[in-house]
Parts: sequence; C-alpha cells; structure tokens
Amino acid sequence: MGLFREARVLTAGRDWRGRSRTPRSAADHQPPDEPREFPTGWARTPAARVARRGLQRGVLTPLTWSQTRPEVTGREGLDATKGPVVLIANHASHLDTPLILGSLPEHIAKRTAVGAAADYFFDARWRAAATALVFNAFPVERYRSRRLRSLAPQLLARGWSLLLFPEGTRSEDGWMAPLRMGAAQLCVTQGVAAVPVVLRGTYAAMPRGRNWPLPGRPRVVVRYGAPVKPEQGESARLFNQRLGQTVSRLWAEEEMGWYQSLRAQAAGELSMPTGPQAAEWRRMWESTRPVTRPGPPPAWRDGA
Amino acid sequence: MSRPGFVLEVDERTPALLMHQGEGFRLEKLPLGSRVVYPPESLPGLRDVDARIREALLNPLGSEPLPDLLHAGMRLTIVFDDLSIPLPQMRTPDVRQRIIEQVLEMAAAAGVDDVELIAGNALHRRMTPAELKRTVGERVFRSFFPHHLRNHDAEDRANLVEVGHTKHGEVVEINKRAATSDLIVYVNVTLTAMSGGPKSVSVGLASYRSLKHHHNVHTLRHSRSFNDPPNSAMHHSYHRMAGVLDEHVKIFQIETSLNNDTFPTQLGFLNKREWEWTLKDQAAYLAVKRANDLTPAKQRRQIWHRTAAPYGITSVTAGDPGAVHEVTLQHVLRQQLTEVNGPSDIGIWGLPYICPYNVNSIMNPILMMSLGLGYFFNLYRGQPLVRPGGVAIYYHPVSNEFHPVHHPSYIDFYEEVLAETTDPVAIEAKYEEQFATDPWYTHLYRNSYAYHGVHPLYMWYWGAHALEHLGQVIVVGGDRRTCERMGFRAATTLNDALEMAREKVGGSPTITYQHTPPLVMADVR
Repeated sequence: MGLFREARVLTAGRDWRGRSRTPRSAADHQPPDEPREFPTGWARTPAARVARRGLQRGVLTPLTWSQTRPEVTGREGLDATKGPVVLIANHASHLDTPLILGSLPEHIAKRTAVGAAADYFFDARWRAAATALVFNAFPVERYRSRRLRSLAPQLLARGWSLLLFPEGTRSEDGWMAPLRMGAAQLCVTQGVAAVPVVLRGTYAAMPRGRNWPLPGRPRVVVRYGAPVKPEQGESARLFNQRLGQTVSRLWAEEEMGWYQSLRAQAAGELSMPTGPQAAEWRRMWESTRPVTRPGPPPAWRDGA
Repeated sequence: MSRPGFVLEVDERTPALLMHQGEGFRLEKLPLGSRVVYPPESLPGLRDVDARIREALLNPLGSEPLPDLLHAGMRLTIVFDDLSIPLPQMRTPDVRQRIIEQVLEMAAAAGVDDVELIAGNALHRRMTPAELKRTVGERVFRSFFPHHLRNHDAEDRANLVEVGHTKHGEVVEINKRAATSDLIVYVNVTLTAMSGGPKSVSVGLASYRSLKHHHNVHTLRHSRSFNDPPNSAMHHSYHRMAGVLDEHVKIFQIETSLNNDTFPTQLGFLNKREWEWTLKDQAAYLAVKRANDLTPAKQRRQIWHRTAAPYGITSVTAGDPGAVHEVTLQHVLRQQLTEVNGPSDIGIWGLPYICPYNVNSIMNPILMMSLGLGYFFNLYRGQPLVRPGGVAIYYHPVSNEFHPVHHPSYIDFYEEVLAETTDPVAIEAKYEEQFATDPWYTHLYRNSYAYHGVHPLYMWYWGAHALEHLGQVIVVGGDRRTCERMGFRAATTLNDALEMAREKVGGSPTITYQHTPPLVMADVR
C-alpha cells in the first residue's frame, strides 16, 4: 500500500489535529486528564502588559461602554489604595470582567490579575492564551479535580491585585450564590484587604448563553465598596461573613440608596441577595427586571 | 495507574486498528459491531530490580534462604530459560543475568566450587555463544563458558538420567548433572501463564522420552487452554513429573514476570490504543511502516530481531517452585487478563514476526501455524474466543521460507508430511518416531544449531486443539500455495476473508479481534 493510501486509512475519522473520537465503548476506559497548568507568567511581562493595556483601553473598554450604559460608584474609595487588594465581585455575565477592569482606577487596573476558571478558560490552549493576554487571567481550580497549585498567593506577594469571583461560576438566574471561602481565606492568610464589588444589570444585559449584550445599551451598575481588611486573629469564616454583609449592602444600595442601605444593614434587615424562594421563572423574572435609575438623574455623573 | 484491559465494540468513531502481519503491520477497518480485546496497560516495573532479587533470595517462599542452602563442597547447578523467552528478547542486562550474578555472589561467599550453568533448552536449538553471553552477561560468560556454561543436550544419553516414573507411567528423564546436584537453582522468566512452575525443570532439562508424555496430540487437545494450568492436561502431566523430581532433587526456583512494554519508544504506537494515538504516533506509524515496507527482506528481519523490548520486571519471587509459581501467575494474569463475554463466530489475530522458535531466525509456515493456532488461539481461559465450528482469521504472509540451519526437519516435514496429511493424529502415528530418531536430525540438534527432529511435529500438535475446534482457518495476505499445503485458505483482504467465512458462520457473524501483542489473555465467560 502506498504512502498516500496508508495515510488515508490512518487519518480516516480523525480531525485535522489527528485526534480520533473515542469509541463509545472505550469512553469508560479513558485515562484521566493529566493536570496541565497553562503557563501565564508571560502575560505579566512588560511587553504583554503594554499590549494588554492597549487592548483594554483601545478595544475592550470602548466596546463595552458602547454596548452598555455603565454607572460606576464608589471608585473614589480606591484612589488612595496602595499595594495589592483582592477585588471580590458577584458574577452573572461575561460583561463583569471588562466592566470592572474598565472602571478601576488606572493604578490598580494595570496591576490586576483575574482568576479564571481553569476548566473553562484554560481547557484549550488558544483560549487560555487569549484570556491570559487580554485579562491577565490565571487559572483557578473550581472543583479541586485537578489539584492545580494556586498562583494567587504568589501573585499577591509580587504586588498584583486580584479580581476573584467567589461564587465560583456565573449565576444561572441573576441572583447571587453563597460566597465560597477561598477568597476570604486568601485575604486572611496573606493579610490583604478585600474590595467588594457588586454588579447589577449585567445578567439582564448579557446572561449565560449570549455572547453579545442585548441591543439598546442596557444600563449596568458597578458599585465599589470600601476596602475591608481582615482583623487580627479573624478567621476566614468570620471575614467571609463580613464580606457577605458588605456585598448585601452594596446590592441593596441600588434600590434603597446609600444611607437607607446603611440603616437596613445596621438593623440587620439585609441578607445575601439570593433571590426569592419561588419558581425558577419568577426568580429569573425578578433578576432581569431592567435596572432603572431611582429618582432624578444626578447632578454630575461618576462615569468611566 | 495502569488501566485494565477491556473489550472495545467497534462503532463509527473507531479508527482503523493495528494488525501485526509478520515482519510488518497494517491498519485495518473492522466491521461495525466487532469486538476487540485489548490487554491491560503496562504495569509499572519494579524500581530497584536488584534489591528485589536480593530480597527474594533472602526471604524465599517455602524454603530456607538461598545462602543457607549453599555450602562448600556441594554440587550446584543453575538452570535458566533459553532464548525462547521472553519475546521479543529483553534489553540487556537480561533479568536472568541479574539473578544469576546474585546467586553466584552468594555461592562464592559460601565457597561453592562445583557450579554448572545450563540453558534449559529441551529440544530447542542450542543457544550460540553470543546468545548465551547476551542472556547471562559478560562476567558470567567469561567465568564459565564453555566448560561450565552450556546448553542442555536431550540426546546425550550419557548425561541423562531416569529419575523415576509418575503414577501414570510417565518417564521422568532429565539432565544427569542437574539430577545429581545437591541443589538446582532455576532462573525463569514467565511470559505467559503456560511457562514456569513445574514446567521449568521437567521440560527444560528433559529428553524426548520424557517430553513425549505431554507433547502429544491427545494431551494437547485436552489442554484447554495451555495458559490455564488447572484445565490443562499438559500441566497435569508437568505436575506429576515435578512430584517425582521433588523426591529426588532440591529445586530452588526464582521466577520473574514482565509488564507489557513490548516495543521500544520509537515504536510506542504499537503499545497504544489507536484512538489515543497522537500526531507523533501517527507520524511514527507512517514513517516506520513506509521504511519497513521499503527495506529489503533480509535487513528488515535483522532489524526486527535486533529490536529488544524495554520490559519492566513486575515481580521476582524465589523459593519452592509450587509456592513461587502461584505468586508469579497472579502477576502474569494481572498484566494480561481481560474479561470477554462469550465466544464469537469469527476470531481475528494479527501474527507478529516472532514466536518462541524463531528468535534470530525465520518464521516458517509451521511456526506460523504453531503461533496462530497454538499460542494465540490458546490465549484464553474458560472457553476459546471462537465458538466450536467457527472461523479463525490470521494476518501473516506465510512465506514458504525456512531457516536451513535452525529448522532442517521442518523443511522435510513441510515437503513430505504435510503434502500427505495435515491430521495431527495421523502425523503422530506415522511420522513421530521417524522424525524423533532420525540420526541426521539428531546430529544437527547436538552439533549444529538445529531444532530437534521431532520439533516440527510438536509444533503441529500445538495447534491440534484449534484444528479440532475450528471450522476453517483463513490467512489474510498469506501465500496461497503454502496455505493450501497446510489446509488453510488464503485471502487478499479482510473482506474477502469474511466472505469466505460466510460458508461456515452465515451472513451476520459475530467477530472478535484479539489485539495482541502486547499479550492479552481472554477470560471468556
């Protein structure tokens, strides 16, 4: 048999990368995926940083701002922040990261790395490379299935701020899930402040399953809270609770306003915005209610 | 963690599968629904083989430690498996060398002067000095060859001794030096469940008078299979003979088992499941296949026979032969056994370039028959992979080619005996005595490098169980005239072979391909 015919028999049923699909009866006999950590160190080199800021400021942020109507509040609280912080945000949409990176003060934005799901963003090399370059992303193991060593402590030690989404995944219905302990644990063990960030309207603007925001420039809100430092001897669990309370207040600020939300928090009336205990459609119905600006428009805007 | 073996059911996702075909290989697309029996993945080898050997010698099973058995003034005979095991040959240093060196260290420390090393080659051809050196290592070879390192001679009447008879009247006759030694240390490599244990001394050092009790058509037809000792009449006979030997000689058995690392890294694709082939594996397949096809036949054969396997050693166990072999068998089965749900109408086997009797030699048609219908067909436990009356399809060129030095009696067997009959019983009755006692064959066996005169008949008996069980044997790519001589049918392609098989098994046969080597033994439930 000639080489050509031999190659044709060999490649039949294989894709352009030479991969064959696994026969169904062999599916249970596949070897477990070897934990492979995509190297992201190159994405923090000076050249990659310059390229990233160019991409973010020249493409990503203008594009996001052109497709949505972001309102950013509380950003001034970060102006005096020095050293690395851990930004802790709720997560409902792929819009969340560009909105936060585009609205952060420049001195923090250019030194922020984003924790991205290792199993989602780092499963294919091209996606991993693109995510690492554009967002300065590093892989975060969500399900402890691959036993990757976390890069987060190293990055903090080198002065990088981190953007983490402690719910672990994008919301299914726009409401929040409990905050996992990982981020709080990181702050407590590394002694760095956490900055709670709440995003409202991003689920309605671009929920799971969409890859482009809804038409009509939906309004989205990015609300930064004041940095929260772990106290001496404070456990990660207690610190996580404190973070949860701050997130709840920032969430409620949208409906109540700043002062009312403070009073409600003091009165113990706030809880995590996990949504009504009702049918799935009602939860989704509520969370997709357009975010309208309460009261008259402000005299001046805190835009990007 | 090595994955266990499993049975693949060919579906539309299954790529073309690898088939060995003599000194080559090919990819073949099997019909949808065919089953493919894959061996367990290669088990990890021992990290420190030498330490394990020492530990085994010092802590044997059912025996005193080896140093306690050695003393000055004793007669010590070290016997080792010949070059028929393992297949392909293992990379040097051979595990037999490693073991023998440690045994000799202990013997030297105990002041043993009278030491002989004997290759347990029974009726196989003598090993050449180079082959002996490769097996036992330079240091042992230099110290003992030629006077105290030699091949067993099953026709040297002066150096054979009748040890006794079994209760079935079987003569136990073995090498005199071994039988009159204070201690036999047997160094074994157990490649399949058939080897080792009681077989080692009772076969490796035996004469034709002794071997004919179990190497005959009746016994082999009632060995179902050779690789399932409890159900093998041949092994029952070995056990009876071993019982007689136990009463007369002290045997300290050292057994080893191997993993399935049968091919070196550059041929790594031969060890892997096809849908897991990387681009590198595929490129290697194309490059090796093309180079192999273009290489002249003689050089191609030399290259294949020079290719040594990077086997890992999975166990080293020493002590009483019975106790040791039980442990070894567990290791062998752990590496080779795959459970299969029932037999099928058609069995497919790709026959490689090597069998136990053509190391550094030619795989002649008789050896092809012995490998296919003997060794591979018998790689089962429970029941054969093919139902009674089913069809076996083999891949092999079956060239009419013989090694004149190694296989002289094979040539006559092929030309004279098979031209008359292929019936093992008729062959045994009419020709065995003639071939076994022919003085020219005996001369060549003793003084040249020829297999014993009776060996081709034994090879034919080896397939007697399969010949009785199967309805038809078809060889894809086989030489038509050679196949016809042996009672087989030749087919050009698998589709042709399946078309021929319809006569015996109907239009919608079930098909099972035993994907070996690396070796897999089917546990057919």
